[in-house]
Amino acid sequence: MREEDREVNAGPAPDRRRRSIVAALAAGSTATFFGPWKVHHAWAQAAQRKPLVVGLTMDASGQYAASGGMERLGAMMAIKEFNDKGGVLGRRIEAIHMDTETTPATGSRVAERMITRNEAAFLIGAVHSGVANAISQVAQKYGCVYFNTNSSSPTESGKDCHRVKFVWDGNGTNFAHAIVKNAIRVNGRNWVLLTNDYVWGHNTSKATRSLAEANGAKIADELLVPQNTRDFSSYLLKLQQLKPDVVATAVGGDDIKVLRQQVVQVGLHKRMAWLNNQQDWPDVYGLGPEQIFGVFGTTWYYRLDLPGVKEFVAAYQKQYPGMAIRVPGNVFYNGYVATRELLRAVEEAGTTNNHAVIRKLEGRRMTARDRMQHFDAWIDPATHQCQQTIYMAAYNDQAAEKDDIFRIMAQVDAKDVVDQDAPKSCRLETFEATPTYEQ
Amino acid sequence: MIGALAPHLLNGLALGLLFALIALGFMLVVGLMETINLAHGSFFALGMYVALVIVAPPSALAGLVPLDAWRALPVGWRYATALALAPLVVGAVGMLLELMLRRTYGRDPLYGLLLTFGAALVLEEAIRAVFGSTEKQLPLPDALSGAVLVGDLIYAKYRLWACAFAAAAIAALWLFLEKTPYGAIIKAGAHDSEMVRALGIDLAKLRLAVFALGVALAAFAGIVMSPIWGMRPHVGVDAVVPAFLIIVLGGVGSFWGAVVAALMVGLIVGLAGAYASEWSLLSMYLLFIAVVTLRARGLAGKKSVLDT
Repeated sequence: MREEDREVNAGPAPDRRRRSIVAALAAGSTATFFGPWKVHHAWAQAAQRKPLVVGLTMDASGQYAASGGMERLGAMMAIKEFNDKGGVLGRRIEAIHMDTETTPATGSRVAERMITRNEAAFLIGAVHSGVANAISQVAQKYGCVYFNTNSSSPTESGKDCHRVKFVWDGNGTNFAHAIVKNAIRVNGRNWVLLTNDYVWGHNTSKATRSLAEANGAKIADELLVPQNTRDFSSYLLKLQQLKPDVVATAVGGDDIKVLRQQVVQVGLHKRMAWLNNQQDWPDVYGLGPEQIFGVFGTTWYYRLDLPGVKEFVAAYQKQYPGMAIRVPGNVFYNGYVATRELLRAVEEAGTTNNHAVIRKLEGRRMTARDRMQHFDAWIDPATHQCQQTIYMAAYNDQAAEKDDIFRIMAQVDAKDVVDQDAPKSCRLETFEATPTYEQ
Repeated sequence: MIGALAPHLLNGLALGLLFALIALGFMLVVGLMETINLAHGSFFALGMYVALVIVAPPSALAGLVPLDAWRALPVGWRYATALALAPLVVGAVGMLLELMLRRTYGRDPLYGLLLTFGAALVLEEAIRAVFGSTEKQLPLPDALSGAVLVGDLIYAKYRLWACAFAAAAIAALWLFLEKTPYGAIIKAGAHDSEMVRALGIDLAKLRLAVFALGVALAAFAGIVMSPIWGMRPHVGVDAVVPAFLIIVLGGVGSFWGAVVAALMVGLIVGLAGAYASEWSLLSMYLLFIAVVTLRARGLAGKKSVLDT
């Protein structure tokens, strides 16, 4: 439809040619007066009124369909805010979304299509780390800047890092740093790991294992849970036989919803301590109070007593009235702030040129107030991961309102939970090896 | 060793019964109508949501039914009503699909596949549009909630009930097909539809009834599985894949073949989950490959011309 619109607006071919010649002459003459190339190039783009296409590579089906939907709404809200102010570099922002199906192969295909056919200037989105990795490989091949909004395998900013990729969520190691030591002290040393059998689960449990063992815990077993497991009875029987003090889970999406329901049915949440490395809001919203057991990590909560939070929640409710999820959670938040920061960086760079935008993002510092978190955040130039506040939470049995289901137990400064291994395994491509890309 | 293994064997059998319950309606439609209903999973999901409306009706229905009086009834009554009524409602929706499906009979099977696949997408999106995409929960009577001690291990009480429901549904369907004249007509229709027609039986009505029964069974399975698997619009996808695998493994058209296949799948998934957890989901596909490689028509499928 968009391409049809462009065709209609272009007018008859001779007119188009005349206009092109005039535009070229105008661009050539103004170049003399407007200094550096990037400045007059941005002006030329604005003059053409070519929309800035942002590709939203987000799941609408599969294990992370619910989270994929929420991060898309977050990105769309940021895009709308920019469009209301006139867009970016004078260009209207146009978002296109394709379902990545929680499947890495689909992620590759969608990224390839968005870059080669839809002329996407940037790609944003992912919850599943395998999908994020697949998208980023394609993005790196073309040089297209890609924001991984919500997938948090430590490998995303470790061995699978790329010059064009920026990782927006806290990763499994950050959360493990925040939670493990205290859990050993409070709950005991005999641990079992319950791990979603894919890249995020493996690497998150690896980080948990390493920290737990370093602090004196014993990992009695690690049970791997294939993606889309719907019956956990054999795992729950095994846990009863193993009798651990702590079950540390790295299970996400629909799998964690089902696991929570089945754990409560047998009452195992009362017999052992449960830690869930990271609990995404769409995976817990709608569950009963008993099913929100254990301690878990998150990067944001809608009732943080911080400036801007209430206004942000109100903006969500205004833009998306009547939503089943009445208040935004961490996944929406990440989608929003990531998109907003990308568009700000483009504006500051004055161009959509990838190298210029990447340079604006590397080492970027963001204030706590701006991000509605407790501590300042920054983008690590060595790994491209956003270092941010990590919150530990549990179920709130003294809720102020219906949706107030989290009790924030602690907020940890990003510098206290840095993933020290990531810079050792991350080898960002050089700028020379990263193709120039500009739409 | 045996002591440690026993709970997993029992759990595997229980899991197998639940798999059989999920596959029953699918088996009926495939086996007796030779139509692969890819919307089976969506009817499974629809059953859950219709049951939710019955057990916990939304306030939007206030003008249509006496909500306060209904909500005042014990959950057990409302749950029992949902178990009986929701499959009928979903069965009626299934009838509409069968009416549309008629144009595909006698044609390339691909037409039927595409139609039911399209219906699955429409149903899933309709559920999402009406109920939203967030997780829902079916309220359960207290008598079915909680856990029981089996030996020194805890087992969910509801799971035992679900197995009982599954066993009852399997037995009822078998009795219906084997011991009633209607069952005889259905089986005869599958075996030689022309002869049945020649005997004056309306084949169109027969197919409509069988399809509705298959869909109603899918809805019943959905209601029973809802507290175990959870309720979300795309939950049907999780049901249709094992259902398809089980009926092919058991041999298309074989009632007991499907039940035995389901028990085998349950056992292997249960044991793999306990002792080689990363293989638990894959194990059912490996079993399928092994059986079909050695016996292409499945465990109890009819011998085809190619076998002779």
